[in-house]
Amino acid sequence: MRIFKNLGQALRGLRLNRGNTMLMTLGVMIGIASLTVIVAIGDGIKIKVLDRITSLGFGPESFSVMAGAGRLFFARSQNTTSMTLEDAEDLLALPTVRLVVPRQRKSIQLINKKEFTSTRVYGVTPDWQLARGWEMKDGEFLSETDLDRSKRVIVLGATPAKKLFKDKDPVGKMVRVQNNFYEVIGLLEEKGLTESGYDPDDRALIPLTTSMTRLTHQTYLHSIKVVALKASQVPETMEAVRQILRQNHNLSVLAEDDFRFITPEGIMQRVTESEQALNRMLILVSTVSLLVGGIVIMNILLVSIRERVREIGIRRCFGARRSDITIQFLFESILVSLLGGIMGVALGLGVSFGLERLNIIPTHITMEPFILSFVFCSLIGLIFGIHPARKAAFLSPEESIRSQ
Amino acid sequence: MNLLEMNSICKSYRNIGIETKVLQNVTLHIKEGDYVSIIGPSGAGKSTLMAIMGCLAQPTSGEYILDGEEVGKLNDRKLSRVRNEKIGFVFQAFHLLPGVTALENVMLPIVYAKNSQGNAKERARALLAKVGLEHRLHHTPGQLSGGEQQRVTIARSLINDPRIILADEPTGNLDSKNGIQTMQTFDNLVKEGKTIILITHDPAVAQHAGRIISILDGQIASDRNLSYEEQTRPL
Repeated sequence: MRIFKNLGQALRGLRLNRGNTMLMTLGVMIGIASLTVIVAIGDGIKIKVLDRITSLGFGPESFSVMAGAGRLFFARSQNTTSMTLEDAEDLLALPTVRLVVPRQRKSIQLINKKEFTSTRVYGVTPDWQLARGWEMKDGEFLSETDLDRSKRVIVLGATPAKKLFKDKDPVGKMVRVQNNFYEVIGLLEEKGLTESGYDPDDRALIPLTTSMTRLTHQTYLHSIKVVALKASQVPETMEAVRQILRQNHNLSVLAEDDFRFITPEGIMQRVTESEQALNRMLILVSTVSLLVGGIVIMNILLVSIRERVREIGIRRCFGARRSDITIQFLFESILVSLLGGIMGVALGLGVSFGLERLNIIPTHITMEPFILSFVFCSLIGLIFGIHPARKAAFLSPEESIRSQ
Repeated sequence: MNLLEMNSICKSYRNIGIETKVLQNVTLHIKEGDYVSIIGPSGAGKSTLMAIMGCLAQPTSGEYILDGEEVGKLNDRKLSRVRNEKIGFVFQAFHLLPGVTALENVMLPIVYAKNSQGNAKERARALLAKVGLEHRLHHTPGQLSGGEQQRVTIARSLINDPRIILADEPTGNLDSKNGIQTMQTFDNLVKEGKTIILITHDPAVAQHAGRIISILDGQIASDRNLSYEEQTRPL
């Protein structure tokens, strides 16, 4: 096959012009290396943000439905009474839903003798622990029995536990909320402050039934946490949830939802807006560096063709067509780009790994840069190789053979 | 039957609007097996004539028939095929690919051949042996002497078994000993029935041929067959 012969000649050409080959490879290599590093950093930051959100109680497959319309993020509307336990049961019947946690919430004082602290007390079901994946440090979490019998038991987060009991073990002790005494049956693992200053440990949990009868004296829910089977099913699940809730709440077609969704994406969107701007800038920078790599290839090829006019003339004299010369030089530029690409990916991965190891910036290494650079490099080689290759092919064989 | 037939070939170049006529009404016929020298002072149009003969350039006007095919108006693709199959070039400056072994240089025309028949490598080896370079197969041009390089180019010109060998000042870059050796190689090829066209300004070289065409100012000044006594005989 003629094309393979041309490929062979291109390889030979690259070998014989080592200096130029090296310079061209270097140009592409730097471009691809920066692209690889940027992709790794972008992914690393995204994963870190996702981790942070997960620690706030959102896995990628979960979302919350808050009672009440509006745009406020975590705030709850005091007077929306439409969300009920029946809603929660209906949602659990959805095929894509794994867990449903109906919740009530009230900020209130907890008292242990002379110590007191104000914290968020949630009325939840035992599934809460599964949905959050929150480990116990000590004791037990709320059980189905606690729920069924509306027992006066409480699970403390680390912050109120410290305030009320100092260094002592709180499990088995009593805590007073309003006029009721609750037995502390468990202590949650400490998570620590998030970077935004939110304290996830500042909470306490009681059975939902207890909360309804003794704490809030309300039968409606404040929010429902829904965990889908898979992260990819979240959008369809949300739509199904919307339909059910609208139906249950007898909302007319024109009425607005009397509930709202809080999704990990929704939070992430806010958190990553600035990071996206950064990403965009980095992508721009790497595109420019790739472009520079391409122009380096083009210029060096153009210079190289001047040096190789005689070679081209000789080839033409012995039967090379214009297309043969074009193909040979295109192959040379594509091969150089791919070589540069491979070396660039290797360098980029090395740098990314180093950044992660030295704790400079979080990075995450994926297959993307490999595929990206393969595609980009072939394109760069092709696009920036065409002009020099055509130029070489259209040299007059008569004149090129005579040039010294 | 003429192998090569040129009828009123004209060639002019246009440079910054000024037309320079390099060849004017050149008519010449060459038969198969002829040994022809084209002589003339520099600037007479020898090289242009050779470029047209070798299908490296197209005539401005006139008719050029090579091996029964009108090649004066072929496109690049077909012209490249003609160069590849029918013409073997030998240059003054050798024009070997630098850094490539003698064997691979000889095989260069095969890269662009439509269908390479037989074992190309064996043929290249045999041709190099024929010009006395069987011990230099894997040397690059830089490692070969001028005479050896010229013999590599002769082997290269023969690899596709061309109808015509065009030699442009083949002895120009060689000392007299290597020059004589090169000319002897050509003389032997003629004896094997090859058609050879020598372009030179050296009368001593030209006299190896049986026919001398002299060019002056883009026109054929004389065209004569040498008598047996005038010809430099192969030793």
